[in-house]
Amino acid sequence: MPIAKFAIQRLLQAVFVVFVVTIFVAFAIRLTGDPAIMLVQESSNVTEADLERIRAAMGLNKPFLVQYKDFILGFFNGDMGTSFFRGPVSNLVAVALPATLALAVASMVVSMLISIPLGIRAALHKGGLSDQIIRIGSLVGLSFPNFWLGLMLMMVFSIKIPIFNSSGYEGPASIVLPAVTIGIILTATNVRLVRTAMLETLGAQYIMVARSKGLRERIVVYKHALRNSAITIVTYMGLQFGNLVGGLVVVEMVFNWPGMGSLALDAIYQRDYPVLQASITLLALMIVAVNFTVDLVYGLLDPRIRVE
Amino acid sequence: MINTIGEVATDAHRGPVLRVQDLSIEFGDPRAPFCAVQKLSYSLDQGKTLAIVGESGSGKSVSSLALLGLIPHVGGRISQGTVLFDSPHYGHEVNINDLPEKALRILRGNEIAMIFQEPMTSLNPVYTVGSQIIEAIKLHSQKTTIEARREALEWLERVRLPHAKRIIDSYPHQLSGGMRQRAMIAMALSCRPKILIADEPTTALDVTIQAQILHIIRELQSELDMAVVFISHDMGVVSEMADDVLVMRQGLKVEYGDVKDVLVKPQHPYTKSLLAAVPRIGSMENKTLPERFDIVEDKQQRTDGPIYTAVAPKYENAPLLEVAGLTTRFNIRSGLLNKVTHHVHAAESVGFQLFKGETLGLVGESGSGKSTVGKTIQQLIDPVGGTVRFRGQDVFQLPKAQRKKFRQEIQYIFQDPYGSLNPRKKIGESIAEPIRTHGLLESKSAIEKRVKELLERVGLQSMHYDRYPHEFSGGQRQRICIARALACEPSLIIADEAVSALDVSVQAQVLNLMMDLQAEKGLSYLFISHDMAVIERVCHRVAVMYLGQLVELGPREQIFKNPQHPYTRRLLSAVPELNPSKKRESVPLEGEIPSAVRAVGDAPFVHGFDEVSPGHFLAQNAGNFRWV
Repeated sequence: MPIAKFAIQRLLQAVFVVFVVTIFVAFAIRLTGDPAIMLVQESSNVTEADLERIRAAMGLNKPFLVQYKDFILGFFNGDMGTSFFRGPVSNLVAVALPATLALAVASMVVSMLISIPLGIRAALHKGGLSDQIIRIGSLVGLSFPNFWLGLMLMMVFSIKIPIFNSSGYEGPASIVLPAVTIGIILTATNVRLVRTAMLETLGAQYIMVARSKGLRERIVVYKHALRNSAITIVTYMGLQFGNLVGGLVVVEMVFNWPGMGSLALDAIYQRDYPVLQASITLLALMIVAVNFTVDLVYGLLDPRIRVE
Repeated sequence: MINTIGEVATDAHRGPVLRVQDLSIEFGDPRAPFCAVQKLSYSLDQGKTLAIVGESGSGKSVSSLALLGLIPHVGGRISQGTVLFDSPHYGHEVNINDLPEKALRILRGNEIAMIFQEPMTSLNPVYTVGSQIIEAIKLHSQKTTIEARREALEWLERVRLPHAKRIIDSYPHQLSGGMRQRAMIAMALSCRPKILIADEPTTALDVTIQAQILHIIRELQSELDMAVVFISHDMGVVSEMADDVLVMRQGLKVEYGDVKDVLVKPQHPYTKSLLAAVPRIGSMENKTLPERFDIVEDKQQRTDGPIYTAVAPKYENAPLLEVAGLTTRFNIRSGLLNKVTHHVHAAESVGFQLFKGETLGLVGESGSGKSTVGKTIQQLIDPVGGTVRFRGQDVFQLPKAQRKKFRQEIQYIFQDPYGSLNPRKKIGESIAEPIRTHGLLESKSAIEKRVKELLERVGLQSMHYDRYPHEFSGGQRQRICIARALACEPSLIIADEAVSALDVSVQAQVLNLMMDLQAEKGLSYLFISHDMAVIERVCHRVAVMYLGQLVELGPREQIFKNPQHPYTRRLLSAVPELNPSKKRESVPLEGEIPSAVRAVGDAPFVHGFDEVSPGHFLAQNAGNFRWV
């Protein structure tokens, strides 16, 4: 079973990456200053003995590697520590993570629904009118800053025409505006990606062979060409999804979306160090997990990878 | 309609199955079109083979796409003419140019099928071989998947694929080039077409594999009573396959007729010059020395250098290059820990001498290790063992400064001249670069003067100095590469398939240039090639390589007249002969060249040599040599 061997190999690599990432996050956060001082910075009359007590309570007086071990063991057992201000981190994450994932998935879906048909069309009519229009449209889309686009959509569809709510989570419909905002931004690049990938495969000799067999153009394009382009497209979009999970901060801010980006950003403002370590670690894990999944899908799509 | 495999069509009708009349094909802007094919006419009888020959840009491939109505898909237009095909489906003659796409799809793959040049890219990499054949069968018949699969399996067996049952579920990348081309043939023939178009079907394959593929095409052609349009640049292959020949040049038909007339008594000057440029095996019999091609050369391309007069190298002097026990291996890593588990035994204990003013041919098929030997001598790859002595000094034991000096004296010319020139550099600068690197000339003006001299010496003009590689043709680019090599004032040039990508008339010109330069400068060549006929023409001595080891080494005349090793004989017999009255009947040997990849610790047995006649060495495995 070569596919199993391939999966195991990639899994081992992913585990190694997780180790490096988590240890780096733990180390980097401790570089930003003594969490005990951060915790008490507001209050004026704190003695060194008080600080020592806080450090002991948080386990900060132990050697770094022991702290790391404690964090990791806790993390993977569901205990992500306690926020300085807002109770157990796991409760915060339980709200934020699904919100972020939902938004990321919805944006990717929006983007794929637009970019795949348009990209294919542009590739099939390379140099023609529809190709030009799609290219200009994609350029316009690229030049929008995402917060601006978000504000515009909000103005039109929730203030002028009140279809959706402008901020926060008030039921499933709330996801539409932020998802469309990110979806459009992603589409600008994805259309070009799909177009380039399709052009490359459509120029391949096996496409001419497929035509010479007498297949109809639709089957040539969707069965023979798209399946090959999918190898490139899935890889890129998978990486994009990974970035998205960690990179939604700006749009989450605009729409006041209660996701991981907001959680991490608040934690930075408040120096809420346990929340920060847990959320960054979790985001890093998400990206590793997505990449691992992409590798597997890639292996399924491309027999050349599977058998190697 | 006949559908069972193996039944021979008993149609009494033997008229032309295809008539092409005044066909013209255009590309680009309709106001200033580029005419790829102009007023082409021919006809093709059932069961017969028409070969369309020509050099690159002659329009031979484009004209064949028109038979399938595929011209719009490559961005062209039919500007005039008809393609009349006697279609069994429609029961009468139809004009392909008038048919709508939907009607064309009924013919494509079903009554007119095509196989392409590049077997490596003509099968879709993400689907199994079997599913692609089944797709074709189901498209044009009412068969179920199970029936179609059974039939696909039969076809894979008919093209003699070993282990057809396994191959039907294999992906293309798991098969060698020859096996893929067989699978492609199986797919093309699976609907029993009336016409098969074969566009350079063996050009990318080794000569022994080519012989097998040509044999399969001929055999199935007579079995299915199918007409074949065979597109090729190779006169030997054409001679072996064709009944009629059509010679094309720049979109125009220049000569058309029976293969014996066209190849033996060509009328048109272009056909004559084309045939004169073809190296023919056996034409050098009883000649000990290499010989220029007798072609009419443009005065401009000749320039001032002397014309080659063959001289025998002075074998009594010390050799210029002496290679002994040269072994080069590449590591293959695998497993979770990425450990070296296998070696590619690219060169195993290779040894030979090369003298001043001599051309030694290094011949072998793909994977034989011939390029590795060349690259190791040029110090592009480090060997695992053995010595390379140049002017008596062991190259790999020398200090860095002296190794650099030898890099200047030994120059390498690659197969792909475009890939070996920097596309963003003026060619004058590309040629000047090694002069500066090796400090051969100091002043800027002296370097420029030298480069212009070199350009003129290789048949280009000094005004070409400021141009870029893409402005030149393939042959001109190879001349630029030769000029760059000459700029280093080398004594040895390693030419690695240097003329393989060139059209035959250009190939002859470049080979003549190389021979002239040998006469003028006393150059030595290590001439690496897969082409036996070219080797015979230009070499003094020949070394035959197989699976990383030499199997035979000797004077060129001996090797070609009296080959001793079974592998040398096999190579020679696989070369198609340019003699239309002699069609090959013998069945070529089956089997593929084994792999040079071996597990660590399982090094191949290195065989010794016997001297069978003075200077003619034969590997001791000749007696018990096996193909597979």
